[in-house]
Amino acid sequence: MTSDLLMSSLPILLQGLLTTLILSVAAIVGGTLVGLLAAVLRTFGPWGTPRLARLYIELFRGTPVLITLMFIYFGVSYFGYAIDVFAAGVIGLSVYQGAYIAEVFRSGIESVQKGQWEVSQILGLSKMQAFFSVILPQTGKIVLPPLIGQYLSLIKDTSIVSMIGMSELMHQGQAIVDRIGQPVEIYGLVALLYFIVCFPLSRWVRRHDRRRSLLS
Amino acid sequence: MNTAIASQPLVKPIINLTGVTKSFGTTQVLKQINLEVHQGEVLVLIGASGSGKSTVLRIMSGLETADAGEVWVNEVPLHDARRAREIRGHVGMVFQQFNLFPHKDALGNVSLALIKARKMNPADARKRAMDALDRVGLADRADHYPSQLSGGQQQRVAIARALAVEPGIMFFDEATSALDPELVGEVTEVMRGLARDGMTMVVVTHEMGFARKTADRVVFMDKGVIAEQGAPEQIFVNPQNERTQQFLHRVLDH
Repeated sequence: MTSDLLMSSLPILLQGLLTTLILSVAAIVGGTLVGLLAAVLRTFGPWGTPRLARLYIELFRGTPVLITLMFIYFGVSYFGYAIDVFAAGVIGLSVYQGAYIAEVFRSGIESVQKGQWEVSQILGLSKMQAFFSVILPQTGKIVLPPLIGQYLSLIKDTSIVSMIGMSELMHQGQAIVDRIGQPVEIYGLVALLYFIVCFPLSRWVRRHDRRRSLLS
Repeated sequence: MNTAIASQPLVKPIINLTGVTKSFGTTQVLKQINLEVHQGEVLVLIGASGSGKSTVLRIMSGLETADAGEVWVNEVPLHDARRAREIRGHVGMVFQQFNLFPHKDALGNVSLALIKARKMNPADARKRAMDALDRVGLADRADHYPSQLSGGQQQRVAIARALAVEPGIMFFDEATSALDPELVGEVTEVMRGLARDGMTMVVVTHEMGFARKTADRVVFMDKGVIAEQGAPEQIFVNPQNERTQQFLHRVLDH
């Protein structure tokens, strides 16, 4: 790759990367909240909510993230409202990843011994109090590695938001290729930037998963 | 009517089970149980595993619901699904597996319910928690996590945690069964102290020494029914029921 090409495209790509990171962080926060809520409803929600949560989880695990994004972006305008592409991206990724994150939290919740719920009940804690001050803090070791793994896949999924016109890293790369060609160099650089963000997380997950399997 | 009940003054029992039935799947574990416990009484339930004694305790503490019959505990009708939750926070329970919160130190274990459920301010909660730990002789272990304590110490923290909410009744579900033999004594000693202080206690145990020395009344359960009950000397020295005789023979003569 010529240094000219590098010099001219790198600032554009870095700007795309910044957007990717902001989108990722927003969707990680959103997806975690949605996933936690779905896991709570699925495991001890009142009335019909466990089935509803289950339906949500199966629905989004069984459809591609691109469909989710399209539905939100175009679906909202279909009903006569405008939605900003960033908002559509955050909401789409949050509800899509939330379905996976819910299952991660569920396995963590179910790993805590039943006696912890029982003693909390007898001590007078409500289910919510028991969940947040007794159960959830104990799920960390089991939940964290797969949770970070899910965040990793979320960060990579942000590239799909380029399909609805979001100017994130992938989209900026495409834009450069459209104008000046050099797809191998540009997409190689895009891939490298994703890799720089994801590799430390991936290594963390591997190290902690191994430590966990050694312990058990 | 046996002598222990007859000698009680004519006051309403603090626990009253009438016609209590419970099945798990197709297995009937309790058949028409009638049982009263009075204020300040120490009732010990004995019997082979599977006789239903733990289920009785779990129904009294609100962890299980009876299929049929009436269950009154501390003036709460536990058979009434709308009111059953009123019992929460008013009785204490000590489990075989301790069930301490592993992410909290001893003080945190004891004070958690005071802060979250009782909404006490943290300073008052910690003070009361320290008093409870002191009562079980573990004030000097307040900052130790469960993993840093022996089994006997963990169970004493669990007792302190139950006591801190000032329960009207304490339930013990095989509280010493998971302990090494040399650690049983420190836990039963704490339980004896509570009995001396007048705490109403219902105790499921395999410790016949505890039943004999500390119980006001011993109930022998067999296959989901109360086969015999009476004062400890009556049950241990002169059991009437053949199943009681066989059971005591097995557990005392090994």
